[in-house]
Amino acid sequence: MAEGAREGGIDFEALRQKSIAAAEAAIREASSRPDLHLVQAIQALDDTDKYLNITATRASEWYGLHFPELPQMLQDNVVLCKLISEVGAREAYTPENLAGRGFTDKKVEAIITARDRSKGGTISDGDIGRVKALASLAVQLSTLRGGLNDYVESQMKRISPNVSEVAGGTIGARLMAKAGGLDRLSSMPASTIQILGAEKALFRSLRTGARPPKHGILFQHQAVHTAPKWQRGKIARTLANKIAIAARVDYYRGSEDASIKAGLDKRLESIKERYKEPPARGPEPRFPRRRDERPPRRNNPRRR
Amino acid sequence: MNSLLKEDRKGRTALLTKNLTPGKRVYNEDLILRDSVEYRTWDPFRSKLAAAILKGLPDDLVREGNKVLYLGVSTGTTASHVSDLVGSTGLVVGVEFAPRVAREFVEHVARQRKNVIPFVADARDPSKYSVTTMDVVYCDIAQPDQTEIALTNCQKLLKKGGTLLLVVKARSIDVLKDPKHVFAEERLKLEKAGFNVRSVIELSPFEKDHALIFATS
Repeated sequence: MAEGAREGGIDFEALRQKSIAAAEAAIREASSRPDLHLVQAIQALDDTDKYLNITATRASEWYGLHFPELPQMLQDNVVLCKLISEVGAREAYTPENLAGRGFTDKKVEAIITARDRSKGGTISDGDIGRVKALASLAVQLSTLRGGLNDYVESQMKRISPNVSEVAGGTIGARLMAKAGGLDRLSSMPASTIQILGAEKALFRSLRTGARPPKHGILFQHQAVHTAPKWQRGKIARTLANKIAIAARVDYYRGSEDASIKAGLDKRLESIKERYKEPPARGPEPRFPRRRDERPPRRNNPRRR
Repeated sequence: MNSLLKEDRKGRTALLTKNLTPGKRVYNEDLILRDSVEYRTWDPFRSKLAAAILKGLPDDLVREGNKVLYLGVSTGTTASHVSDLVGSTGLVVGVEFAPRVAREFVEHVARQRKNVIPFVADARDPSKYSVTTMDVVYCDIAQPDQTEIALTNCQKLLKKGGTLLLVVKARSIDVLKDPKHVFAEERLKLEKAGFNVRSVIELSPFEKDHALIFATS
């Protein structure tokens, strides 16, 4: 309303000012929640992972034109990028500058041999300069990644010690990011936590009657992905149950409770024991598609 | 001078609203002068109310001087045009629950426009923002019980004979049901609550699986 306008005794401008102040206070309070910062950190970590992969792969491909044997010899792209950025062109490799990098003598020898018999082409100063810049960016990204990873782990221990204990720091943080904060994670049923991150598969299953997903983000947990296939669903379900409990303890009580992890380990043991052998192949289970009932009849027949 | 302008642009209708804060933009929209009055273009792909008007919703439902309760203002794109429409004698009470988008609404809309009062609140609890009786309730929230929420607000704050504009997000109510089915169900809920449903406008091609229900109490 226009400035100072009143109606029925209400001063709208005064009310507006008060409301703006209250709204800003609420926004400020919400923006300083530590779990929301943690959500940003884990997302930054996952972003950094992507950049690192792209950058290191490009550096390796480009450098491979000049010295293809080196990328083939080193599995770790970051180690390769470190060499590219610090040593550079093929001719510059010597036993001396390869020393102290954790390579075995055999490896150093192989690199030197490869240097002399390389099938790679020549590279101009301009090109090697760009490749070195790219490689050094990859090295920096890897340092950034390490720092973010440690930070997420330590913050998770502080904000959500039990989820951190049961699910692991990064996986716990990813679940929290998907849920939208610790408060939301703690109010989710375990069945939802179990398939967080597998929404596409879930909705496909509901729509078409395909098999429902057993795990989403939880697949990344080593207890799930290292287990034999027929145990994974059971393990993911148990894990989700314990995470749901852990999140509630973290949110409402905030103290560590070692019994959750102990209970998980016990359950995992018994699953592994009981379902040692793959199940006999029976008929494929069927997951019926949900069908709509008929649309309701309008009691008011007027068309729009 | 009307605060809403319709122009023909190569066979397509463009909507413009008279800028209540001349010279200022809210979300990088175009500012256009007509007869030395500044207007802001109203993009139907970004605003469901604009989409509904282009698809046949009467354009005089939100008028100069109206008091509008807007549930789910988000960053305030549509709300800023509603604020243009009701003008300096009108009032927009904007409610938003998510702090992240409410920040932009308060900064870019509520702080700039004297006819807008912001609330960071849950629309399930109208007592938090019951400022006065409203002429129009506009509801655009992504909740499975959005229709019930709108009805609660209307019972408490909408004047007798007032207008309810309800954006139905079929995918928020039920991802699997046919949207048409969902629209019919929500329409029925309004009629059972004593509303007179004037029209149900599907918002394609501007929005997928959305409809706007226009009803009067």
